[in-house]
Amino acid sequence: MSAAGKTDPLRLGFMETMEVEGRGHIGGLLITNQNGRPLEFQCTTPVKPNRTQEILFGDSLRPWLLGELIGCTLLDRVSIKPTLIITSDLNLLELRNHTNIPVACAAEAKSKIAEQGGTLRIGGSILRFHDAHGIDAELLSKQKHLLPDSADISEPLERVREALAETVKTVFAR
Amino acid sequence: MEDVYVTDWSADSSHLPAPVDQALLDEAKRSLRIDVAQTGFNPALGRIPTVETQSVSLNTTLDFVPAWTARRIPMKCIGLTLPEGMDFLPPKVDTTKSSDGVQLKKIGPAKAEPDLVDGVEAPKKVTRIKPPADALSLQDRLFYLLQPPLESWLAGQELIMPFEPFAYQYEGIAWLFASQAALLADEMGLGKTMQTITAIRLLLRSGQARRIVLICPKPLIPNWQREFKTWAEELPVVTVEGNGARRRMLWTMPGIPVLLANYELMTRDIADIPEDEQPKFDLLVLDEAQRVKNRDSRTAEAARAIKRRRSWALTGTPIENRPEELGAIFEFMEVVPKGASPDLRQLSKLAKKYILRRTKDLVMKDMPPRIDRDADLELTDAQEYAYRVAEKEGIVQLNDLGDSITVQHVFELVMRLKQITNYDPLTGQSAKLERLMADMEEIGASGGKAILFSQWTKTIDWLAPHLKEFNPLIYHGGVPTKHREPILAKFKADPDAHILLMSYGTGAVGLNLQFAGYVFLYDRWWNPAIEDQAINRAHRIGVKNPVIVTRFICKNTIEERIDRVLREKRELFQAILGDGDNENVTLSMNASEIFGLFDLKARHKDGGSKSIGPKPLEKKADAA
Repeated sequence: MSAAGKTDPLRLGFMETMEVEGRGHIGGLLITNQNGRPLEFQCTTPVKPNRTQEILFGDSLRPWLLGELIGCTLLDRVSIKPTLIITSDLNLLELRNHTNIPVACAAEAKSKIAEQGGTLRIGGSILRFHDAHGIDAELLSKQKHLLPDSADISEPLERVREALAETVKTVFAR
Repeated sequence: MEDVYVTDWSADSSHLPAPVDQALLDEAKRSLRIDVAQTGFNPALGRIPTVETQSVSLNTTLDFVPAWTARRIPMKCIGLTLPEGMDFLPPKVDTTKSSDGVQLKKIGPAKAEPDLVDGVEAPKKVTRIKPPADALSLQDRLFYLLQPPLESWLAGQELIMPFEPFAYQYEGIAWLFASQAALLADEMGLGKTMQTITAIRLLLRSGQARRIVLICPKPLIPNWQREFKTWAEELPVVTVEGNGARRRMLWTMPGIPVLLANYELMTRDIADIPEDEQPKFDLLVLDEAQRVKNRDSRTAEAARAIKRRRSWALTGTPIENRPEELGAIFEFMEVVPKGASPDLRQLSKLAKKYILRRTKDLVMKDMPPRIDRDADLELTDAQEYAYRVAEKEGIVQLNDLGDSITVQHVFELVMRLKQITNYDPLTGQSAKLERLMADMEEIGASGGKAILFSQWTKTIDWLAPHLKEFNPLIYHGGVPTKHREPILAKFKADPDAHILLMSYGTGAVGLNLQFAGYVFLYDRWWNPAIEDQAINRAHRIGVKNPVIVTRFICKNTIEERIDRVLREKRELFQAILGDGDNENVTLSMNASEIFGLFDLKARHKDGGSKSIGPKPLEKKADAA
């Protein structure tokens, strides 16, 4: 809420990562308005952990690589800061530990995630939040009315994946 | 079954440290007894394992261990801010300071909050906007890829659509939106207007275009105005009209999102504007783009002279007569060099890239059918007499012309004979009118509506009083433009107005009359494409019932011969182009075919004769 008491329009961030064969992972962050219209897009160059990192991080490698390293880089980079970040990868929830912006993993309403606590239903999707930040669901539910009922919260993630594939094809495959 | 041997662990135990309890030792030996298969290694297994200890001194110094701390791997980012995102960018810190060193802050108008309305239900099918093939830079390609699916974009809160478009229309909109050069050649009635307006709307909304000009034939200006109002109510559309000074102001004034002009004014005005004042547009749309089919015409030259970034052409008949016409439209679209004459192979390649064409047969399988029926009529006695006399005299006159004959001479005779088949000018008898009256009684009684097309305004004016009981409305070139819209509105709204009399020239294109269930072609046009355009005023999207098309053809007359020629051509082209496309069957009659309508022979002085044919480079009939 702004100081004037009016409701700020939502700016949604959609973050996805993709593995580029032999080169590591790239990530993309698309910022849209509440109607899904694109406002800004950023994507990283590929990043690959070395063998030492792979051994030392163990199971926490992917959350660190995707959530902290790629996620934080993208979030720092975008000029338009999102109100909420949505992803389809649970590993990216790690980003929430490094930012004040709520991060949620979108899944189909019928999926198993829907049965867990700390979730919020929007349209045909369920948003799952970081276990340590359960209050995010509560906060966001107050702004839920800003999203159109018809909003397909997972659809822009498809756009990010397509944009990443296009970037890989155009830039990194050379 | 394999034999099993028991091994006794009887090794010497003297080396074991004393004292050892012999009983325990025996017990241990017994417990170590194992069953071993005979393999040849059994003695080795029987040996007691020897265990030795050795003391090792501790290192006093640590080896070097490489230090490792978690740190970020350097990464670069590729990014773009989309036009709509500019408004959301955080304000730059303004370092402007007044003379006294106090930081100044710019004050601007408060931004309006978005008007939030409940969205509509999400559609199931999604149409994604694909980047155009000629978009090479990553940023350009990402721009298109990152746009939301068209269905959710249009169903969202920002763009209210009065009606849900069909799937193929979504595809057309997405294709136009992403095209720098495009020829939308959908068959008439499939909604080219709506697709174009919606694509224009998206371009303006996404910041891709700020200034658009749409050129159309003069009679269609009210149609476009009305369609813009229906499909993009919020867009300010300004029509170029008025005196020269006003028109020039409108052409050059920036800040008009959509400018509407007719071909005649475009041709006249653009040439009058000095080079340095020529307007620049983000998009130029040519409706009925076959108007620029002749690349040397003033119209085509004026259209090409308009400065623009995108060029779209709309036509249901990209080729009316010759493939070169398509080349001329491609030249306007700037996809071929100036003056280029692409061959058929090149045209076909360009068509795949730059033309989107759908036919009703392909996309509107559930649309009510168009039922064509030919009404073969016998001339009345008076018509028969007038016709035969005119034909006989005409042929004699043509034969007498000998080699000096031109297609125009033949053409004049054809026209005279065609007029007689419409009605006898002396007695007013008309076989066609009799048939029409019979059909109209049935249509009128059932509350139906019909459109009648004729080549001549004179015929239309002659017909009107005869059809008085059906409250006929007249719509042809002689009706002032400002009176035309009310006529169409009355035809739609007045339940007693059962028939609209139109000329091919004025009524054949761009009008939506899908509430009329009957179409009469009182006489035949030279070009089936024009006839189809006329029929498609009624048989188009939104039509709920079958449309019955009646072609009047008088037996044993020139009409029958013309019909045969056109039918043969239609069949020939269907064989070449396939059944899916019945629209490109548009070659009108050429000079030799018009000569062929009569058996013309020039008589020699010696009593012999020779056939008269067209001279090379004769003008085509449809140009007349």
